[in-house]
Amino acid sequence: MDDKIKKRENFPKGVKGLKFLTNFCIAITGIILAGSLPILIRGWVEGEWRWRLYVESIRETLEGLWPIGEIAFLNYRAGQEMPLFPNIFAYIVYSLEILFLALLVAIITSLTFTIVTMLLSDNIRERVKMRLYFLESVPDLLIIMLAQLSVIFFFKETGVLISKIAVAGDDRIYWLPVLCLAVLPTIQLYRLSMLTFQEEERQMYVELAHALGFSKVYIVLIHMFRNAIISVFFQSKRTMWFMLSNLFVLELMFNLPGIMLFLRGNMHPLGFLVTIFSFFLPMFILYSFGEWFFVSRRQNKAVA
Amino acid sequence: MWRQPYFIFGFFILSFFLAGSFVYEWVWGDVPAQTHYLMEDGRAVEAAPISPNWQHPLGTDQYGYDLLGKLMLGAKYTILAALAVAAVRMAIAVPIGYLFGTYFDKQRKWMSSFADSMHYIPLTLFAAYVLTPLLWMPENGFSSTLSERISVQVIIMALLTVPIVSVLVANEAALLRDKEYILAAKTLGAGRFRIIRKHLYPQMREKIAVLYGQQVMETFIILAHLGLLDLFLGGTKVSYDPMFGDPPMSISYEWAGLFGSSFRYLQSAPWLPLAPVICIGLAIFSVSLMMEGYLRSKNPKIKKVRRQPQEDPVVEWNREQLREKMVRLKNENQPK
Repeated sequence: MDDKIKKRENFPKGVKGLKFLTNFCIAITGIILAGSLPILIRGWVEGEWRWRLYVESIRETLEGLWPIGEIAFLNYRAGQEMPLFPNIFAYIVYSLEILFLALLVAIITSLTFTIVTMLLSDNIRERVKMRLYFLESVPDLLIIMLAQLSVIFFFKETGVLISKIAVAGDDRIYWLPVLCLAVLPTIQLYRLSMLTFQEEERQMYVELAHALGFSKVYIVLIHMFRNAIISVFFQSKRTMWFMLSNLFVLELMFNLPGIMLFLRGNMHPLGFLVTIFSFFLPMFILYSFGEWFFVSRRQNKAVA
Repeated sequence: MWRQPYFIFGFFILSFFLAGSFVYEWVWGDVPAQTHYLMEDGRAVEAAPISPNWQHPLGTDQYGYDLLGKLMLGAKYTILAALAVAAVRMAIAVPIGYLFGTYFDKQRKWMSSFADSMHYIPLTLFAAYVLTPLLWMPENGFSSTLSERISVQVIIMALLTVPIVSVLVANEAALLRDKEYILAAKTLGAGRFRIIRKHLYPQMREKIAVLYGQQVMETFIILAHLGLLDLFLGGTKVSYDPMFGDPPMSISYEWAGLFGSSFRYLQSAPWLPLAPVICIGLAIFSVSLMMEGYLRSKNPKIKKVRRQPQEDPVVEWNREQLREKMVRLKNENQPK
């Protein structure tokens, strides 16, 4: 993931760059406008419109942003104010690590599952698909709680602690939260990629390849994979969005020292803005890069 | 639709909870049974929270209230709220989507990149952030009534993702608009409104139904998440007593509140947080069953008939029959 982000430096300037910039600006404006929304709502509940206060709050937030090194937040774990760099930044990094690790796990497992199911016969494929579809309705909270309970149960039975289920202080735990976070996105991505792969299967070139005598494994892995992966990527944004909510709950339930938990103690526009930006920047760059990468590749192919 | 087993099963679960909820309130009143101690041979054997037994199938909470009763009482709030949030959202987003898909096509790009920015804000966080001033009880109590708060909450939660949903609808409408039959309708002089009403809407009815189902499922999840944050449907009762402050409590017995106020008991009394979450899961499951059933009734699965190459009937001829046949063929073909 990381080197993908770095490669973005050689993003070609010009029309594409301009579009990238406009999207970026619109997105930032949207987030800033959303940041002061509670003021409007509070006024609305009490029966008046507080547009002026709203604008005022946006201005204050933007002013508070400027000397970025001086932003400080209350950390209720330590019970004192903490500067954004480097203390809060460490939280951000930890949250992002968990998020992207889970994403990676979800992508790899779901694609593997998809390829395996594609190789099965039609009947079995339908059955596997239905089971997994209904698994999707399991709430994330249930998964987290079951994971925690089973760790406790395992500990009571054998005396082996597989993983810590809650964090005290500034400890870091990785694999259990990553696993919990990855389960639902895996199912969603699986559903998505199954749809795309099956659509792809009906295309003419697959039939041609069959006729030419290529094996099923080869066609699925080489030909269909390349085409299907593009549309899976474009549709995966919703999954990502969903994962962010899950991450939030995960940090609460495991008491992880992450950025979401920290926001809970800082429910004001500036805190909201910093938290959202910490996710927005890497994700936006990742998606813009992916879009550019896939679109340009497709165009190159069309020209050649 | 009513012949699909999936749909009926899902509908049955959901209506069981809803009807059960109203019946329970009607028969036993709106306070669940309370048991402080479990007595056996004149001795107290277990104090609240009591683990599941025959008298209390799902156990009791830390104050001795029967959990099953609480769940049944709360079912109507949770389910109706989720259905309402999704309905309000669709009612606002679908017309906006059509407007952007037909009348304001040029602005659609702006709209979609604005909605795109919403994809970076975790919905739970956003909802919690926006709803806190509404739901958290101020020190001198709420100034609004329960039903007022619930309706305001429903509207706000519905509005949160209106941009995303309407962009989805707009893109879909724009795709359909470029089809040939719509061009033909335009040439014949159909206005935009007529095109929306007569062509775009009927074409997209199924997609809109599925979208509605997805919104309901999403709302259940968000409600559960908000419960974890002590923001309960219809407001959180907060005790400002510095000495004997009760933990934040839900005013109605809705499921998210039941879960949110008890997830700290996961280890000592696992049935407390697990039961409401399983109920939420069941509700989501039933919605997804209904969606699947609906889809199947609309486009019944074309049974894949293995088209076997038609075998030519192999007929064994013996020599005499062959000669006979050939003679007959020859006679038939001969012009008379």
